[in-house]
Amino acid sequence: MTATTRSAVRFLAPYAVGTLLLVAVPALLTVGYAFTDHTGLSTPRFNGLANLRRLAGDPFFRASLRASMVHVAMAVPLRLLAASGLGLLLAAPRRGGRWYRAAVYLPTVIPDIALALLFLWVLNPLYGPLNQLLGAVGLPQPTWLATTWGARVGVVLMLLFPIGEAFLVVLATRRQVNARLYEAAALDGCSPFGQLRRITLPLLAPVLVLLAVRDLVLTLQVNFVPAYILTDGGPGNATLYLPLYIYDQAFEFLGFGYAATITVVLLAVTVAFIGLQLALVRRWRVLR
Amino acid sequence: MRSGPLARHVVPLLAAIVFVLPLWFMVAGSLRPVGLPPPRGVELLPPAPNLDSYARLPQLIPLFVYLRNSALVVALAVPLTVLVASWAGFGIRLLPPPRRRAAVVASLVVMMVPVTAVWATRFEVFRLAGALDSLVPLVAPALAATTPFYVLIYAWSFGGVSDGQLGAARLEGASTWRLWRAVALPQVKPATLAVAVLAFTFHWANFIDALLYLRRQELYTLPLGMRFLQLLNPTDWPLLMAGAVVVTLPSVAVFLLAQRLFLDDPLRGLRGNAA
Amino acid sequence: MTDADTVTDADTPSARVALEGLGKRYGDVVALDDLTLTVEPGELVVLVGPSGSGKSTALRILAGLEEATSGRVLVAGRDVTRVAPHRRDVAMVFQDYALYPHLTARDNLAFGPRVRREPAAAVTARVERVAVQLGLDGLLDRYPDQLSGGQQQRVALARAMVREPAVFLMDEPLSNLDAQLRLAARAEIVELHRRLGTTTVYVTHDQAEAMTMGDRVAVLADGRLQQVGPPQAVYDAPANRFVAGFIGSPPMNLVAGGGALGGEPGTVVGVRPEDLHPDPTGAVALTVTVVEALGSETVLAGHSGDGSRLTVRTGPRSPCRPGDVVRLAVDSARRHRFDAATGRRLP
Ligand SMILES: Nc1ncnc2c1ncn2[C@@H]1O[C@H](COP(=O)(O)OP(=O)(O)O)[C@@H](O)[C@H]1O
Ligand SMILES: [Mg+2]
Repeated sequence: MTATTRSAVRFLAPYAVGTLLLVAVPALLTVGYAFTDHTGLSTPRFNGLANLRRLAGDPFFRASLRASMVHVAMAVPLRLLAASGLGLLLAAPRRGGRWYRAAVYLPTVIPDIALALLFLWVLNPLYGPLNQLLGAVGLPQPTWLATTWGARVGVVLMLLFPIGEAFLVVLATRRQVNARLYEAAALDGCSPFGQLRRITLPLLAPVLVLLAVRDLVLTLQVNFVPAYILTDGGPGNATLYLPLYIYDQAFEFLGFGYAATITVVLLAVTVAFIGLQLALVRRWRVLR
Repeated sequence: MRSGPLARHVVPLLAAIVFVLPLWFMVAGSLRPVGLPPPRGVELLPPAPNLDSYARLPQLIPLFVYLRNSALVVALAVPLTVLVASWAGFGIRLLPPPRRRAAVVASLVVMMVPVTAVWATRFEVFRLAGALDSLVPLVAPALAATTPFYVLIYAWSFGGVSDGQLGAARLEGASTWRLWRAVALPQVKPATLAVAVLAFTFHWANFIDALLYLRRQELYTLPLGMRFLQLLNPTDWPLLMAGAVVVTLPSVAVFLLAQRLFLDDPLRGLRGNAA
Repeated sequence: MTDADTVTDADTPSARVALEGLGKRYGDVVALDDLTLTVEPGELVVLVGPSGSGKSTALRILAGLEEATSGRVLVAGRDVTRVAPHRRDVAMVFQDYALYPHLTARDNLAFGPRVRREPAAAVTARVERVAVQLGLDGLLDRYPDQLSGGQQQRVALARAMVREPAVFLMDEPLSNLDAQLRLAARAEIVELHRRLGTTTVYVTHDQAEAMTMGDRVAVLADGRLQQVGPPQAVYDAPANRFVAGFIGSPPMNLVAGGGALGGEPGTVVGVRPEDLHPDPTGAVALTVTVVEALGSETVLAGHSGDGSRLTVRTGPRSPCRPGDVVRLAVDSARRHRFDAATGRRLP
């Protein structure tokens, strides 16, 4: 190890230790607890695959998994579409460009709790601005959080606003593309849509894949606050997303062990997606 | 190459309006007099707007205790995050390229670990450390740079500091510590600003950790206080919106400082002088 | 664009290009000021000037990538000022090559024809033919980042050739190559131009490149055209002080009239370094400060009695050493005179 590498390691040490203590160790502990009857108070006892068997017969878990998958299926494509559409739209320099961009980022800095309280009101069938808007243009005015799909769509609607990170990443990546490529394409008669299809999307593909997987992982988690504040899992477990169920098990029902098992399932899903992501990105390198 | 005014300004303006609308409704809702019947049409501003709801906030909840706790958390967590993230980013910059890539990939992987995987077990870590029932669990994430994303921002920004510069400073006898403080860090002020702003918005808004690890009211931070407010007055919309505005305002104010993120070329903007 | 058009284009391989009174401002910056220039069919004209003189701007307006503030662009007699870039029948080679990084060399070459929906078989054949012409046949399946700088440059050139345009536009296509490669590529482009006979506008900041490549050179400074003509004519009779100093290396000695090189006050006298000869009876006494032995010749730099700095080009193996005083004779037939105030050439 060279002297430079040694000092590099010194600079990385606090971050590495912090990550170890606050991410790696807890994550490994969780994997261990998944095979115990830990309540958070007692000494954990190994109970083999009992938790997994319980999981298999747990209707709440099935409902929770379904709710999460439905949520991801709706939220990820829509969030990604919005973020990349806006990122590409606002990447071009224009007068006042930074204000348009700042406006799109704005909901991302609204604290979760405030955004959730706001949407509790926005989605209120009687007082809420959303139904007033819908009524003004003659559209039906659903009762939102009181119905299965109303609640699911409501949560997705709320999560369509805080997309600033992906938006900025797309925008910044688009700016990295050499402007001459577009000029060369224009000289060849490539329309703006053709340029999007033949240049922008292929060049941004690796980043878009990364964002898609990251958003998938994120979306599996960030729906905790809206579900906790807006719907509390209801109606009828329609929005009992995995994080909410894990929270309930771990902190409300003192089932650290069982919650850990559910988390491991979530972790496994996540790892599968990370593997997929790395494989795709590697493939893309070869394929361009 | 020209594009029409439609693509240049009309569509961006519409997008901007849609994304500003939630905040607008929040503010408008907080100004609505209490006890008014539901509005009949789209109400961009309530009739006879007033600030009564804001005045009622401190009467119903210990607002200033929450504020003080939140302020304490960000005052500790934000500088710590900046420090740890900039050290780590500089460390990555100093690594030889293959290891640099490995460090970046490792950071990306850590970013993918679901937060739920650490909720309950962090609880135990904090209990072992005797840190439960204090604000420590809310500051602790800063030890891990809050999120690897901030480390990556720094790693990218320090990438603009050339080997030549570092070599030259080293020939002058500067230690690596000094390279970080006197050569590298001053060149990436925009990145520091961005990380500080992002860290502020994260820690100021941190609801989940507060919910999980705080038990006593005296320790509640503002976001958890708002949940408490909601439980007390679940349908008092103007009051809840006033609370939401109070939580949101500092984040928005700090965010407006981070204009550089929204320049035409954000990545170059981050590198500052080093670009 | 239909196939029929393409066929006609191929049948008329070169076109006259005319820039008429082109002006371009960026806010307060005048990038181009009233540029008028005609390029004859099949001619290779080099636009040369220092960095920031407006060469790229002129070329980009000609390509349609930039809009002129005033003036017209004509290609083959057709006013294309308001015509979209791809309908001007021009192809461009960029300084950084602008190769699509996600496409192989082959797909880079085929990009344009595919966008124009030309028949696949014809495209493949043309790509292969051009690739063979430029010695790229073994490299077609590589991505740009798997090619050396010189190979990338060739792919860029090939991509323009596949287009079979009426006009080639090249913006400093060689400036990213190292010196040796640049010389070879220079000759190659000239040879290619001779073979294809396509009208070409070539931009460079390198006066040597301009001298060796152009049928004619057009010298630009501060957005204004300074002089157009065959390289030798411009070299022999620079139209003004700027051109005199810019074309030729080492640059022409320019001394205020009445000084070391003679002439009357109010003028500037210019003598090229090769037109000063060591001569024991010469009128100028040069105190040598620098001796650059280049092998085939020696360049002496120093100052005359009145302090004017002068450069002299002499034969190889010069015995001069720094500190020596050399007497020089001026070849009076090759003395240039310029108006001190306007910089213009005086007869
Ligand atoms: N997009 C632009 N915005 C503002 N000024 C520009 C722009 N492009 C070129 N210029 C200015 O126009 C002048 C000519 O530029 P250019 O044509 O690129 O010069 P050259 O290619 O001869 O180096 C320069 O002063 C340059 O700064
Ligand atoms: Mg140029």
